[in-house]
Amino acid sequence: MIPQRSNRLIKKLFAPYLAYRLRKAFKVLKHDEIEVLPGHSILLLCNHFSWWDGFFAGHLAHNYLKRDFFIMMQEDHLQKRMFFSRVGGFSINQKSKEVVMSLQYAAHLLDNPNNLVTVFPQGALESNHIDEINIERGIDYIVKKIKGDCQIIYYSAFIEYFESLKPSVYFRFLNCGTNRDFDFERLKAMINEHHKKALKEQVNAEH
Amino acid sequence: MIKPGKNFIIRQILHSYVSWIVKHHFHDLKFDPVEIDPNKSVLLIANHFSFWDSLILFIVCRKLVKKSFYVMAREDTTVKFQYVKYGGAFSINKQSRDMLQSLDYAAELLNDPQNLVLIFPQGKLYSNFVNTMQFEKGITRIMEKAEGKFQLLFAATFVQYLKHKRPTATVYLKAEPSFGKSLEDLKNAYQMHYDNAKLQQTEIVI
Repeated sequence: MIPQRSNRLIKKLFAPYLAYRLRKAFKVLKHDEIEVLPGHSILLLCNHFSWWDGFFAGHLAHNYLKRDFFIMMQEDHLQKRMFFSRVGGFSINQKSKEVVMSLQYAAHLLDNPNNLVTVFPQGALESNHIDEINIERGIDYIVKKIKGDCQIIYYSAFIEYFESLKPSVYFRFLNCGTNRDFDFERLKAMINEHHKKALKEQVNAEH
Repeated sequence: MIKPGKNFIIRQILHSYVSWIVKHHFHDLKFDPVEIDPNKSVLLIANHFSFWDSLILFIVCRKLVKKSFYVMAREDTTVKFQYVKYGGAFSINKQSRDMLQSLDYAAELLNDPQNLVLIFPQGKLYSNFVNTMQFEKGITRIMEKAEGKFQLLFAATFVQYLKHKRPTATVYLKAEPSFGKSLEDLKNAYQMHYDNAKLQQTEIVI
């Protein structure tokens, strides 16, 4: 497992670059409002459909949710771009025995209320058009291992073009409660219901 | 009604420009091979979710169909972007009496086997995530007027990023050899193709 090796300076320097890249590639990043609980770390779950997802999560963590950003990445992807471990990336390899270590590592990061850990619960890249979000069991393991207070937030992101040649991204947040009242099956049902509803609302999105 | 401009030089410049921006913006442009009848014109029916879809289909037309490209566009768009008429756009305004003229003009274009007419039956921009396509009525008038002269082609376009920095556009094409005359038949036939295309899109897992 590759641990994260970030430091404040690199993250500070990376943030404007990230903002620049997103500004260049996208027209607007639109998100709705969500109540962030003070004194809680955040486990951020989201749908995984593109190369950009980590950047989106980083952007939201930095600018909106105001937490220190960490992200769980596939080991082979992180090995190819080791720089990402400098901005909060740590690895997971679903096929190796170390998978538990990665999950514990994520839980450990979440003990600190200033941190935010992004995990793609699907565990794979899937289409942006799917209506079922598959949630791997690892999420259950992470949440149960967290010792501090942690809020669980999910968002569905959708890419749309409409009148512009540049795409826009629409984020739809869902508050999934905290680790104190956590139930895996309920989380699964909640996320899937939210995703379906978000897809439906997306069709009527203003543009 | 604004008719397509006939200026060889501007059209050529637009061709190269559109090829360039599509190549620049998209990682890849995929489309299904379909057989095109050389003795018939093509009526292309597509979903409308962005400005890109006419540009994408313009490229598909050039690479696959190899006919002159015409597209029915909203009047306000055609007025705002004057140059699109040189790319083959002609206008339609739903609120005005001109509308019938535009529909007849589309049918007229379909009489020439060298032409391709692209129509977005949704009539305006919708999300790429719609499940059911709305169809405006005008399309049946065009089909009645040009009956037997054209080949009907369905296109369903989806844009996805997946593992690449730039998006990939996939155009699912299908030639519809037999089709009913009513709007409902057309809608159902298109919907079947669209559902099928969407299913293929959602099955991608990397």
